[in-house]
Amino acid sequence: MVGQAALEEAPQLGTSIQTSYTCVAVADDYLELKLSEFLERSASEPTPGAGSAAAVAIALAASLVVKVARVSRDSWNDAAGVAAQAIELGSRCPTLARDDADAWQDALASLASPHGVDGADTELRRVLDRAADLPLAIAETGADVAGLALLTAERGAPSLRGEAVAAAVLAHAGVRIAAHLVVINLVTQAGDERSARAGRAEQAAGSAAAGALEGER
Amino acid sequence: MATERATSRLSDSDLVHRCRDGSPEAWNELVERFSRYVYAICGRGFGLAAEDAEDAFQEVFTRVYSRLDTLRDDAAIRPWIAQLTRRVCLDRIAASGNEQPLDDITDERLERTTEELDDAFTIREALADLGEPCHELLDRFFARDESYRTISEQLDLPSGTIASRISRCLGKLRSELEGRNPAEGASGGKR
Repeated sequence: MVGQAALEEAPQLGTSIQTSYTCVAVADDYLELKLSEFLERSASEPTPGAGSAAAVAIALAASLVVKVARVSRDSWNDAAGVAAQAIELGSRCPTLARDDADAWQDALASLASPHGVDGADTELRRVLDRAADLPLAIAETGADVAGLALLTAERGAPSLRGEAVAAAVLAHAGVRIAAHLVVINLVTQAGDERSARAGRAEQAAGSAAAGALEGER
Repeated sequence: MATERATSRLSDSDLVHRCRDGSPEAWNELVERFSRYVYAICGRGFGLAAEDAEDAFQEVFTRVYSRLDTLRDDAAIRPWIAQLTRRVCLDRIAASGNEQPLDDITDERLERTTEELDDAFTIREALADLGEPCHELLDRFFARDESYRTISEQLDLPSGTIASRISRCLGKLRSELEGRNPAEGASGGKR
């Protein structure tokens, strides 16, 4: 039967749904790096920076959720669906990490160029806008991962509860970083809706992490 | 238009039947239904550039139009179109005089690409048949990369229930796929 491979593993359904629309594979530079190379680049080059680090932390958290959900299938009806969603959320992170690094580099270059000349201020505004959009996307993705982590801590296999709690805390850390980047990127634009959205994401992730930790005690 | 809606819900087999009867709406739907599939084989399978893929696309549907009567099993329209597309792409590459791309195209790669596309296509159809709100929920989350909060705001659903709803919809999608028994292989045409 066609599609049988996808049926074997619910998490693959999410990927297949996405592929069914885009039919395009995204190339992610950071996925190609060894962990040691990523760490070295983080230590020695302007990018990856904080936004990328946040995205990677959230991707790790998503992976932990997937692990716990997979082990919990026999005792939790929604486990396969939760794993599929965590895979989807985690898969967004490498692209977000790469795009955030690109945006940050563009912002650095734009800030270093002379202002006031034709179009330079408009270009700076555009670049800073993008530099805020990406951390916001990272924060909202992280909040969703934290929510899944809490769900997994509550319903998943008790033997791996610690992993789910770690996922919630890790996702929260990523969200806090990303939300902070949104705010400092927007320091001159009071009342920007993105600051409020980043704040809501941070609050949601914080509640999820606190809930997961509370249940551990 | 009511006619378009009615046509879009037809099975592949019924759609082919209506095409044979000369329905212009059915032909439009046939092209619409398989256009992504053909483009994807041209692009992902054979690495054709956009302009070449467009030419191949035209050629494929010209052949479909002129040879539809040779299709033995109407339900096998998709593998038949895949077969036609592969042949058109190979013809175009050979005619271009640039054989280099052929060296890069292995049978294994073509088979893998076609399998992936078939799976993707089947899932897309199943998604469409799921109905609402599942179709919209899964589309927003998996295809549009929307957050739970955005989905809850757009669909006016409690934010805390989105993940569970998506899980249930994935379960329905699984059942929908398990209930299908599509034709396999590309042996539908007489050639």
